Amino acid sequence: MKSSRRRTARTHPRPLAAWVFLLRNPSKSAPLVLVIILAVLLIAGIVAIMNSIPLSVKQVYGYSRHITGISARGDPSMVPRLLERLQESPAPIERTVSCRTAVFNINSIVGDWPFVLYGLSGDDTMYVVDKIGLSGLTGRLPKAGEPEAAISRPLARNLGLRIGSALLRPDDSDNFSPLTVEIVGIYESDIWFSFTSYDYLAEHHFPPVDVLLVFAPDEAAQRELDAWALEAYKGQRAYVFAYPNLEQETQESLAVLFQILNLVIGMLVLVITLMMGMLISIHLAQREGEFGLLQAIGFTRGRLIRRAVLEAALVVVAGWTLGAAAAYGVLTVVKTLVMDPKAFALNPADPAAYLYTIPVPVAIIAAAALTVWFRFRRFDPISVIERRVA
Amino acid sequence: MIRTEGASLVYWDHGREVFACREVGLEIIEGEFVGVLGPSGSGKSSLLFLLSGLKDPTSGSVFYNGISFAQQGGRERAELRLRTFGFIFQQPYLLGYLTAVENVMLGDPSAPNAADRALEVLEKLGLGDKARRRPGELSGGEKQRVCVARALFNSPRVIFADEPTASLDHAGGLHVVELLRKHRQGALVMVTHDRTMLGSADRVLMIEEGRLRELGAEERDQALSVP
Repeated sequence: MKSSRRRTARTHPRPLAAWVFLLRNPSKSAPLVLVIILAVLLIAGIVAIMNSIPLSVKQVYGYSRHITGISARGDPSMVPRLLERLQESPAPIERTVSCRTAVFNINSIVGDWPFVLYGLSGDDTMYVVDKIGLSGLTGRLPKAGEPEAAISRPLARNLGLRIGSALLRPDDSDNFSPLTVEIVGIYESDIWFSFTSYDYLAEHHFPPVDVLLVFAPDEAAQRELDAWALEAYKGQRAYVFAYPNLEQETQESLAVLFQILNLVIGMLVLVITLMMGMLISIHLAQREGEFGLLQAIGFTRGRLIRRAVLEAALVVVAGWTLGAAAAYGVLTVVKTLVMDPKAFALNPADPAAYLYTIPVPVAIIAAAALTVWFRFRRFDPISVIERRVA
Repeated sequence: MIRTEGASLVYWDHGREVFACREVGLEIIEGEFVGVLGPSGSGKSSLLFLLSGLKDPTSGSVFYNGISFAQQGGRERAELRLRTFGFIFQQPYLLGYLTAVENVMLGDPSAPNAADRALEVLEKLGLGDKARRRPGELSGGEKQRVCVARALFNSPRVIFADEPTASLDHAGGLHVVELLRKHRQGALVMVTHDRTMLGSADRVLMIEEGRLRELGAEERDQALSVP
């Protein structure tokens, strides 16, 4: 008997523990949890995918962290003056590379984006390759003057290219070159970059103007150089391409989109909160008999309110946790099946995506507390007992 | 132990004043079994609610151990109901998602070894083998016995039973009363409209239109013997 009693004590939870009701009434608690899961999944999913745009921009054009690009806006006579002005840079300059450029399109989740094919010559080629961190070449480097290009693996995935594929073609107006430019080498790095020989672009592409790629010894100096160049060449016939500018322009171009996103998420939270408030209210109404009995036999109203709020909080925490896990799972699947094959950026663990979902549990717990307080405000256990509500 | 002085309970029904209890003067002493008889709507349940502090009298006072309920706050009264009183209602109110033994533990869930003690009470009432069943798996009589177990769980000083046999057949009702009589350790106040349930009561009171009076020995014998 004694051992059976000990077993009883172990196997029976405290009957009014909040989780007991929730676990033993899955038909009531599961829909509430499910609503929160879906809300968190929806919000985290939308935000993570939205954030994949600036993330993609940073990833695709990330190589430019190592470069301050200065172009003469189509005027070859400007180039010596631009070079001369560079001498005034307060930031140390490691090397200045003169190159030519052509542009082709890459795929993104919001359509085509332009990407630069750099024409590099001689020693500059290996310097640039090392400086931006390309490694693991499969195939070979493009030969001087030949219609050949080397690209990195993300570009190859994005465009579905391999060695021997055409990067630019005479019959492709978006990715044009007078000759078919063939891929001869692919770098296995995650950095997006492409280049051909200076001579090929100089001979076959317009305009006949060099672009200056200016390299500082380290990233801090590069940022200093960026800031100086942006000011120094302002108002001149020159265009400065600097990574901080890219970030700022990306943020500015997406600002309105994110404002709309905030509005949509705000409305979503409001709707879900109202819906949850109503559901919780209905569930509490269905449990009047229980609360009436408990209050009649001696449980204080405060204790019952705390228990009801704790139950709601457990539902919310469970819903949010499962929702966040589901969002991570779904985003990982989307990344693996949809984004990665095209080398699109998506971060399933994007902190912003999960931060955006925080208003959901906060608002629902607040609504639940209000609903519970409202329900119990004038709750009379006797009326419940006398009504014989079981 | 429990004493009322001129306690009345009035409510309004469509603008008309209705006395659920009218100037009740009553004393319940330690360990006695007090039966309250009365027809439906006579104020039996209201009397029980007054005596247990569940309702405040409109006028007059109710005392437990010399302290008026009016002097106690809601928390103190709740504490008294949980730890000192036991309740059985007409319908076998059990929480459907809890097992029988867990329902009994509601008598005081924070009591030490609550589960063991609850099982012990269930065994005393012949429900040891049904301890893990939920109310939906129990018969009406078994449910009411679980309610009795819950009321007995904390060895209360007073058990208030509001028509505890109303939902049972006659034999089942007598069984429940017998269990209450046998296992209680304090006073028992039982209201019923079924006079045959009060054979073992120490005192029998009659309530009619809210007025309470005690039946004398002869009147009591006569009342309880009428089929």
